[in-house]
Amino acid sequence: MPSPLDLLTLPFMRTALVELALLAVAGGVLGVWIVLRRLAFFTHAVGSVAFPALVVSGPIGVSSQLAGLAAGLGYAAGVGSAGRTGRDASAATGLLLVASLALGVVLASDVVRAPAAVDLLLFGTLLGLDGADIASSAVAAALALAATLLVGRAWLAVAFDAAGARALRLPVQRLDAALLALVAAAAVAAVPAVGALLVTSLFIVPAAAARLITGSVGALFAASVGLAALQSLVGLYVAYAVDISPGPAIAVVGASLYACAALAGRSRGAAAQAPVTPVLDARGVAP
Amino acid sequence: MSALVEAGGLAAGYGGRPAVHGVTFAAEAGHTVAVLGPNGGGKTTLFRALVGDLVPLAGSVRVTGRPAYLAQTERTRLDFPVSALDVATMGALARSPWWLPARRADRRAAAEALERVGLEVETHARFGALSGGQRQRVLLARALVQEARVMILDEPFGGVDPASGERMDAILGELRGERRAIVVATHDVAAARTFDRVLCLNGRQVAFGEPGTTLSRAVLEATYGSEIVVLEEDGGPVRAVAVQHHEH
Repeated sequence: MPSPLDLLTLPFMRTALVELALLAVAGGVLGVWIVLRRLAFFTHAVGSVAFPALVVSGPIGVSSQLAGLAAGLGYAAGVGSAGRTGRDASAATGLLLVASLALGVVLASDVVRAPAAVDLLLFGTLLGLDGADIASSAVAAALALAATLLVGRAWLAVAFDAAGARALRLPVQRLDAALLALVAAAAVAAVPAVGALLVTSLFIVPAAAARLITGSVGALFAASVGLAALQSLVGLYVAYAVDISPGPAIAVVGASLYACAALAGRSRGAAAQAPVTPVLDARGVAP
Repeated sequence: MSALVEAGGLAAGYGGRPAVHGVTFAAEAGHTVAVLGPNGGGKTTLFRALVGDLVPLAGSVRVTGRPAYLAQTERTRLDFPVSALDVATMGALARSPWWLPARRADRRAAAEALERVGLEVETHARFGALSGGQRQRVLLARALVQEARVMILDEPFGGVDPASGERMDAILGELRGERRAIVVATHDVAAARTFDRVLCLNGRQVAFGEPGTTLSRAVLEATYGSEIVVLEEDGGPVRAVAVQHHEH
């Protein structure tokens, strides 16, 4: 069994840790909004839509960050305009998801001939990250925090009661567009590290687990970021110790933490509900 | 008299098709307006047009200031990790720029509003854990914090326990005294008689006016169609009983 301290002493592990810490902030914070706004499917699709763009970015000489960002933002704009006209984009998203994966694989194997890139792009690599990958994750984390501090209050009101928020004259359309664009950009930034198919492991799983064990929005953010960091750290160590790819290892640890949270939430929910109900009933019928 | 809400020839609906049309009415300061109509008659559609959630397909709508809107309960999310105080504080978004954090004064106003609706004990209870009547009172507290001159309430008494209903009735009376305009969708024809005006909708405007002269047998039958049985008392239709259709 290798020492956990290797994560700090080996340079490529230190880089991976920095990347994961940044993504834990971006994914943990934005994950709360994704879960509260039910954008999980959207987030998953962003990774897939970015995949063919990333495949061709190298051969055509475009920065992979920019190519992925363009694809992700383009998709977000499409979902945003569908939402404005009251249509549900989930069927189109499902179609796009399949088409993007297929297109990416075809491009990689038959057009640009980089089949090795498929594995890396779909499942990520934490050991071959460059400075631009770290920088884009840092920007994503900073934007997620800044936006939540600045826009969080309005986002929460819209998520809770959209019609009520429109009556309050909040700019609901622009707030929604900003959220979709931010989630898309951050998910694309996470693709090199955790892979197009596994971005959800950092952007949805920790927040969904935190949702089961917390009762306030503040606690939800703290638990979401904490769980994202914990599953990243444990996943990275497990991957190193048994020599497997870190992206899938982190996803498996995340799923396990979610299962634990579900069990904890269940017993906590049963305990919390018992004393509350009679008090409310007693007040409800009081004159 | 100054009208705080005015609609003229208003049509509103979804996907370009009007769910309700020909709506011309006004709600003046200090007036309550009851909106009557069957399910699917266009009450909620009209309200969504009044609060700016739907763009009118035809006609005009004018509302003074930012209206407070109490949607039907199922439209607000019960699984949300917010307390009654959090929800009431959202009303302060109407009073200061949305990009600034809630101020201490906002929280205080929210706590006072919860006290006014009789929920001071439940201030920190989770919104979704409250009873239907208590949730309506929390949303009413949010409207109070908003300091809206126009209040639009979509069936606020549906599924509400009697204590909550009485409390809300009393507060609506106070708000009327504060010269606000209050528009309420209801199924209760008898209660509508206590309002200043009634607006009857059934896909279109059937009638608008003072309840005494407006709520005739003909108007009620045109409004509800076969869904209603009108009972005559002393020469006028005092009671009307909606027939419940249960489709399984």
